Amino acid sequence: MPERTGGRRTARRPRALWPALAGPGVAWLVVFFAVPLYAVLAVACGRDDAAGDPQPVWNPLRWSLGRRAVPELGVPGDGFRGVWAGLGDGTFGPPALRTFVYVGIALAACCLIGYPVAYYVARHGGRRKGLLLGLLLAPFWISYLMRMLAWVNLLQPDGYVNDVLDAVPGLSGRTWLDGGPVPLVLGLIYGYVPFFILPLYAALDRLDVRLLEASRDLHAGAVRTFLHVTLPLSRQGLLAAAVITALPMFGDYYTHDLVSPSNRTTMIGNQIEAFLRQGSGQRTGAAMVVVLAAFLAVLMVYYLVSTNAAAREAR
Amino acid sequence: MTRHPRERGRRMSRRAFLARAAAGAAALPALPSVLAACGDGGSGGRDVAIDPQDLSRPDNPVTLPLVGEPISDGLEPEDGPLSVFNYAEYVNPATLRAFERRYGVKVKVTSFNSMDEARSKLNAGVGDFDVFFPTTDVLARVVARKQLQPLNHSYLPNLANVWEELQDPFYDRGARYTVPYTVYTTGIGYRRDLVPRPPEAYETPYDILWDRANRGRTWLLDDDREVIGMALLRRGVTDVNTEDPKLIARALRDLQALDEAVSVSLSAAAYEKLPSGEAHVHQAWSGDAVNARQYLPEGTTIDQIGYWYPPDGRGVVGSDTIAVVAGAAHPVLAHHFLNFLLDERQALENYRWLGYQPPQRTLDPDRLVAEGLVPEHLTSAVVRPEDLTAGSQLLQLTPDGEKLWDAAFARFKSGA
Repeated sequence: MPERTGGRRTARRPRALWPALAGPGVAWLVVFFAVPLYAVLAVACGRDDAAGDPQPVWNPLRWSLGRRAVPELGVPGDGFRGVWAGLGDGTFGPPALRTFVYVGIALAACCLIGYPVAYYVARHGGRRKGLLLGLLLAPFWISYLMRMLAWVNLLQPDGYVNDVLDAVPGLSGRTWLDGGPVPLVLGLIYGYVPFFILPLYAALDRLDVRLLEASRDLHAGAVRTFLHVTLPLSRQGLLAAAVITALPMFGDYYTHDLVSPSNRTTMIGNQIEAFLRQGSGQRTGAAMVVVLAAFLAVLMVYYLVSTNAAAREAR
Repeated sequence: MTRHPRERGRRMSRRAFLARAAAGAAALPALPSVLAACGDGGSGGRDVAIDPQDLSRPDNPVTLPLVGEPISDGLEPEDGPLSVFNYAEYVNPATLRAFERRYGVKVKVTSFNSMDEARSKLNAGVGDFDVFFPTTDVLARVVARKQLQPLNHSYLPNLANVWEELQDPFYDRGARYTVPYTVYTTGIGYRRDLVPRPPEAYETPYDILWDRANRGRTWLLDDDREVIGMALLRRGVTDVNTEDPKLIARALRDLQALDEAVSVSLSAAAYEKLPSGEAHVHQAWSGDAVNARQYLPEGTTIDQIGYWYPPDGRGVVGSDTIAVVAGAAHPVLAHHFLNFLLDERQALENYRWLGYQPPQRTLDPDRLVAEGLVPEHLTSAVVRPEDLTAGSQLLQLTPDGEKLWDAAFARFKSGA
């Protein structure tokens, strides 16, 4: 191999260079993930000071699972004990269940809306691909907050949606912002669908056209080609899109606060936020953060395992 | 924790959500809040243990211990700049400018969004502040940490303008550390044009919040103390600082029944939800009703906004204070600032912008209506001196009591 001559010099450089390139990423992870996670644990496993204010405990050897409940005083347990009790007494259970349902519906809708869009842009965008991608990214130019508040304006009693519906007999006078889950799920879909489309687009764009042509050459129709070639090949893209949208949706609390701040639509993120803001409930809130993060980590691990398996198959 | 109208009222405003939306973008939910929480109290020495006997109550007035010496009489005000530590948007900027002109100094305002945040900053010793606006429920703790200095009343002749009840208040006997700033009540805001019956048409006016006629249009304040306190008052329990688990449990059941009946929503923006028509009934602070006129959409007038507060005054009432920070670089100027805000004309100008009322002797409902500050039908949102004695105040609980209240509210919010 003639090109390897003099390779010793070039080979030595990467040994220091490549790990160094990972440095910023590692530093980022340590500063913005590992340290905060440790801080959350220190709060979740902390203790009260003399005045009853929760304080973090930094030494893991002194961590506690939380205070036990004092039923005769009506004082609930806190920390991980509080989370356990809260899952039983209705404080966390229904919001968690609701979160699953809302995220599930929103994911399904994102899939139904996002897949055709991503497919169209990737396969039929042609010369306008750049423009279409630009349009997909356009919502990011506007803050999430503004987009959600726009929904409030659209859906409020004298808002534009009702202005339009009033013209249709039988549909007039509908109330949307009455504390029900519809605007919340709409908000979730609307807010997160761009996050769903982009990774899916990236996957579909890389699809090997020759495979599709081969399928057609073998007399598979458009539908069978889609079901047996395109869809299986976009599975990784779908999974990535689902993970990228589901993770933040599970922790979402501001969509609820903005478009439907009712008890009937409280999500798990809202309960966490409420506990963390209480002062006295910080330990329970932090413990719930850890529990939710652990649950999401399981989803994440499944995603990584499945991606690795797919990558191995591809090889 | 008791939340302050200012804390929650503006905090949940659209602008404030910008910050929260940014925070929420992180995949790990609420992480930034935890990080912020970590700073709380951890660094600045320890709080003193709370003995239930030490909690100030109208029937258990507290004389705060003297820590340090007040400044001597007859000193000239310093050159400034005066450093003020206050809730965001809690003084009329024009009032600040008037003070600057009068004393030829600059006033620098550093703002905070919650009392927790303010306290953790003071505990960490960040910022050299001259003037601080503590709420009454944290006063004992702030003084115990030697963060305030005793006042010299010779600089505060305008304290005489203030309601007598607040010249020697139960939370700070002898006004050793604080002068009063604003007073407010918690009542029920409603759309006079949209509710079938106004609160006073109910035998128990609070029942309007339980009325199915307003389903999907009924809102409560997003605050554990206010909401549970209201449920207690409805049952005739006037001790809104009770730590009796049975009473709290009954209040929770009542509130769950309310939720069942009207599918309640929570916000601290009654001043906006009522004008927009999203809410037909909204538990509200008096300042919300007064401020609502700044948020009226086209075609809606202030005449459509109503505010009910128990006519016998037996509702929830609160007051705020101003104090001089221990070790302030400009203590004399700070005293003059306190006195300036207690000046009748300045207090009136401040109120015009702020919407939260100064407890000035001369500002009775008639005067406020005559000055065009409050429409006639909203005089129920004007606090009267007798409200302070008749009403109940949401005050500091013991740590266990706080947990009891918080847990009940979390149950309520879960919608289970």
